Amino acid sequence: MTNARRASKLPFIIVTVALLFVTLFPIYWVLRMSFTLNKQIYSGAATLLPVQPTMSNYMRVLGLIDSVTAVKLGGSGQKINFFRFLFNSVLVSTIVTFAQVLFSAAGAYAFARLRFPGRNKLFGLYISALMVPSIVMMIPNFILMKDLGWLNTYMGIMAPALLMTPYAVFFLRQFFLGINRELEEAAYIDGAGKLKIFLKIIVPISSSSLATLAVITFIGQWNDYMWPLIVGKDEKVRLLTVALGVFRSQTPQGNPDWGGLMAGTTLAIIPTLILFIIFGKKIVNSINFSGFR
Amino acid sequence: MLRQLRCLMVPLAMLGMLAAGSLFAEPVTIKYILWDANQLPAYQKVADNFMAKNPDIKVTIDQAGWNDYWTSLQTSMVGGTAPDVFTDHLAKVTDFASKGQLVDLAPYVKRDKIDTSIYLPGLADLWTKDGKRYGLPKDWDTIAVVVNKDIQKEAGVTDAELANLTWNPKDGGTFQKVLAQLTLDKNGNNGLSPNFDPKNVVRYGMEIQHSDDRGQSQFSCLALSTGWSYTDGTFKSNYHFDDPRFIQTISWMLNMTQKGFICPYEVTALSNSTLFPAKKAGSTLDGSWMIGYYANSVDFPVAFVQTPIGPVGRKSMTNGLADSIWVGSKHKEEAWKWVKYLASAEAETTVGTFGVVFPAVKAGVDNALAAYKAKNMNVTAFTDLATGKNTTFVYPVLDNGVKVSEIMVQAFDTIFLGKGEVAATLKAANAKVNALFK
Repeated sequence: MTNARRASKLPFIIVTVALLFVTLFPIYWVLRMSFTLNKQIYSGAATLLPVQPTMSNYMRVLGLIDSVTAVKLGGSGQKINFFRFLFNSVLVSTIVTFAQVLFSAAGAYAFARLRFPGRNKLFGLYISALMVPSIVMMIPNFILMKDLGWLNTYMGIMAPALLMTPYAVFFLRQFFLGINRELEEAAYIDGAGKLKIFLKIIVPISSSSLATLAVITFIGQWNDYMWPLIVGKDEKVRLLTVALGVFRSQTPQGNPDWGGLMAGTTLAIIPTLILFIIFGKKIVNSINFSGFR
Repeated sequence: MLRQLRCLMVPLAMLGMLAAGSLFAEPVTIKYILWDANQLPAYQKVADNFMAKNPDIKVTIDQAGWNDYWTSLQTSMVGGTAPDVFTDHLAKVTDFASKGQLVDLAPYVKRDKIDTSIYLPGLADLWTKDGKRYGLPKDWDTIAVVVNKDIQKEAGVTDAELANLTWNPKDGGTFQKVLAQLTLDKNGNNGLSPNFDPKNVVRYGMEIQHSDDRGQSQFSCLALSTGWSYTDGTFKSNYHFDDPRFIQTISWMLNMTQKGFICPYEVTALSNSTLFPAKKAGSTLDGSWMIGYYANSVDFPVAFVQTPIGPVGRKSMTNGLADSIWVGSKHKEEAWKWVKYLASAEAETTVGTFGVVFPAVKAGVDNALAAYKAKNMNVTAFTDLATGKNTTFVYPVLDNGVKVSEIMVQAFDTIFLGKGEVAATLKAANAKVNALFK
């Protein structure tokens, strides 16, 4: 590379480094605060490394300290059943991801390839549903869950997202529209029915975009706070995001338990981080792929 | 045939006994919630004692932080899954009562001949309305000035000065002088020096959070000490936010932020104090429920000082908590047993020994003081205000709490952000508030 070339790359490098810094520094700060005692959250905030590194926040989050000591460290005296909540989150997110991707793909295929009367009008209705903010749906959904008797159950937490979201159907339909018709016609001639074509041809071809959707759905479901807060109050079905609410301020005008909150957040980020590391390349590729059509 | 029937009688009888036995052995579970996590160990001990005395009742305690507590309680009432007993707050009790969600405890109190004179005077009556009772008092809190002892020493403020702070809305009395002394600008000048630069303050004299209609840890101690009161009585609803004494108090506070002695309004947008723990403010106003926080989560020694002596004396707003029973509870009798025990002298003195709150029974207060002393904290500032003559004031127990709060928060935002004149804004807000009660 000539020097001129290198020089012209310099502004891009600077901008990239700046963006990386802006994005990664808050995460580093969360990590640093998670190793700091509550006493020094404000007074020891001037240094890059924690003044008195401690594991007590992590122990508090994992429920390994008794209530009285926890209160002395500035935390809540509440017992935290961390692994139970982690299990709940993993269970709910996995089931919702699996079901949502499957049913959305089926719906998207129907909109892309099948012909039936009113297809385009129905699709228009789906798209207009994208414009309804989810918070508006919370009260009607809550009343529905209450009438179905699904409050404080896994079904109640999963139900609104289990079958599809308009975004998923739209995203996959775009992709399915671009698949070569010849493949399906060849399979049809060989005697495959619609279901077989869907399962054996369409799904394997679109694996990368399905994977992308799966990761997006998993992360969205993992981070969901408002709905599980309303519906899943009971300790048996509480999700991790709701459980971390115990670190928010407990008393009027009280301080949140910053150390515990940071430790809990770090632990909650890890599963999504692992997911990204495994599927990261596939997502980037699929964005490239469906970028131009 | 009779013989066959007789053969069946013994196993049937045994089945019957088993069934009856299991009916009797099945413990009734009472769900109880509270918001203050610091009090959780104390109430767990009380629950253990209660369960030892009542083996057929099981009490489970759950805790939800203040920010989520009321919304989750209301959604669970709608959803039919609310707890049997919950910690209630004077600001919210009328709301629940008017929606018919609380059990009237008056008949139970009468039936079991509960003696309400064991509580500090005035507390028990706050929980009654129109002859019905919605709770028995369990603790109370007051407000005090919290001072960073290191900064106090550095600024040269003596303990005697702090113990005898005077205040008036015109020149701020010795309170203003102490605040100025605690303030420091970039060049090392404190607020009393002629070279003080209010634009480059590195340490404020006091950090005050944003006020709402109650102003419990904000304007209440100052405004009340001028002889002003929110309304004409605890159950009366004609607000006086347009009273000249109140206007003068708020004007003084605004003046202090402009002088640089009290931190600017924009810096305290969070609902918890950040400058004081960061040693960027010398003092703050806070309630006795935060004593544990100052004991555990700040890096410096603190002193609790009584609120300043105003034109009519020292005043502090006081609030009390009680436990209420939800109307949809399936075990009201057992819930009442739990509430009765919680409100008893025995339970409240136990809570007192944990040194987290001040129990409503007179005997419990001494226990609490001793417990705090063992932790090296002198909290007499709070208790002296509670037991002094005419020093405490209760916020009126009225409906429309949320709307009144909204109106006043907006008014204070306007005033302290410099977008509106004090008197005009307060007069307009007061008119809106009083219109709610017409």
